[in-house]
Amino acid sequence: MITFALDTATPTPVLALCGDDGPIAELWLGQTPGGGRRVLEAAHHLFGSAGVAVTDVDEIVVGVGPGGFTGIRIGMATAMGLGQALGIPVHGASSLEALAVGGVLVREGDELVAAVIDARRREVFAAVYREGPDGALTEVIAPAAWAPADFAAAATAAGPAVLVGDGAALVPATEGLRVAAGDAPHRISALALVHRVRTAGPLPVQPAYLRLPDAEENRLKRIAEGAGA
Amino acid sequence: MSDPVLAIETSCDETAAAVVDGRRILSNVVASQAELHSVYGGVVPEVAARHHLTTVNAVVDQALADAGLTLADISRIAVTRRPGLIGALLVGVATAKSLAYATGKDLVMVDHLHGHIAATWLEPVALDPPFVALTASGGHTRLDLVENYAAPVLLGQTLDDAAGEAIDKGARLLGIPYPGGPGLEALAREGDAGAFDFPVGLKGRGPSADFSYAGVKTALLYAVRELGEEGTTARRADLAASYQEAIVRPLADKLMRAADTHGVPAVSIGGGVAANGRLRELVTEGAADRGLQLAIPDRALCTDNAAMIAAAAAFTPIIAWPDFVGEDAIATAPPGGIAA
Ligand SMILES: [Zn+2]
Repeated sequence: MITFALDTATPTPVLALCGDDGPIAELWLGQTPGGGRRVLEAAHHLFGSAGVAVTDVDEIVVGVGPGGFTGIRIGMATAMGLGQALGIPVHGASSLEALAVGGVLVREGDELVAAVIDARRREVFAAVYREGPDGALTEVIAPAAWAPADFAAAATAAGPAVLVGDGAALVPATEGLRVAAGDAPHRISALALVHRVRTAGPLPVQPAYLRLPDAEENRLKRIAEGAGA
Repeated sequence: MSDPVLAIETSCDETAAAVVDGRRILSNVVASQAELHSVYGGVVPEVAARHHLTTVNAVVDQALADAGLTLADISRIAVTRRPGLIGALLVGVATAKSLAYATGKDLVMVDHLHGHIAATWLEPVALDPPFVALTASGGHTRLDLVENYAAPVLLGQTLDDAAGEAIDKGARLLGIPYPGGPGLEALAREGDAGAFDFPVGLKGRGPSADFSYAGVKTALLYAVRELGEEGTTARRADLAASYQEAIVRPLADKLMRAADTHGVPAVSIGGGVAANGRLRELVTEGAADRGLQLAIPDRALCTDNAAMIAAAAAFTPIIAWPDFVGEDAIATAPPGGIAA
């Protein structure tokens, strides 16, 4: 059984091939704007270097976000297109949970893991998880778009936590919150996506935007104002 | 010999897929988002892109089912590369690339405008060059000389708003909900097209084949202001008829003039505005006066669709598997108008 996993929700897209016995190959793309647009080209290289043909793939796991809207869509369209053509299942996995899987590896003591993705517009997409005794992640703070200071306050109230993800540096320095050292914990691993699906089960393949389109936001605001007047 | 092409189009607010074999349309599926965008008064790019993503695979399945084929029967895959809303285009391009990659098929990346022009190549219209093509929609307004389908030559285009965009904006001023085309046309039928003398863009510019719609839109705005709410309501039909005339008459006139200039035996109209009854009347008259053949594809082939993308793909270089993996969508039209 060969699983192809990809996540293009963040500025450092990632893909991997995974067999029954563990990882076959993993590839990160450098941080370039719109890097997700190169994901199929990267997949072709990944398949080539791993000696795997795309037709050998048995299932696909795709990060459904949150993250950049366009990135999420390219990853999902790619996954669903491949799945449709190959007639194989496509599973969703949370990009934040995949980050948290990496965060568990670098946490100290009883620290919670706060997964934080840059949401632009001075916001972060973030959630806080606790690792249970069986290694399962439980949600302490559900994924949402936050002002970084508000998230810092909420996370601190939940308990000491290690911050991982490209949005970790945006969270104001707060006692009890520690940004993980190094680069690796701040990138999503495609293998972590596969781990989530195999341990916690798949999510539906639906984009986790966590934010309405601006036009819809404004429309709802106008309706609310009209109703209040 | 059978050579079916699967085409995907997601450049604006229609999620479309089609299967075309040579000049024959085997299926043509369009999932329109028009209703979704009507609450915003126009197409919202992020809303469009989100909807394409949740719809495109089902639309492809439907196109294959309608054609009675499976993906394995398809010769190659075509997709709209440019121009359009980038977030919308990217969904179609990623989908088409992935379908082609996984099935080992070649890919053709098509210019959307080339698609509108090539729609007349398809049966039953099956127009052969040379001819002059008018393409008028919410996004584009242009005239091309088609001596061969592979390389239409741009004769003129709008310098500001597209004709369909001007129609929508005028309709909004007259209180007609988006998309305003059909409502404006219905209202105009009850009015006098000569009641208001709205300026026709670039009228004084001699033989220019270009169009301009900024002036007429402003003129309507002033007329509505001057008439006031009550006066506007009383004369809505006249306003609609005069406004529509100022938009579609230059389209028909310049199409006919270009046909005269280039001595072609045929003209065609396409794009969403080709559905406008008044434009059809004017070009029918003009073509009859000159003894020209007039080609108007079905409404479903004038508005955005994927069959026209498959048609243009027949005249666009094929990108062999797997050379297309790095190909990308492009938001803008190339200078001069059309490119693969
Ligand atoms: Zn169009």
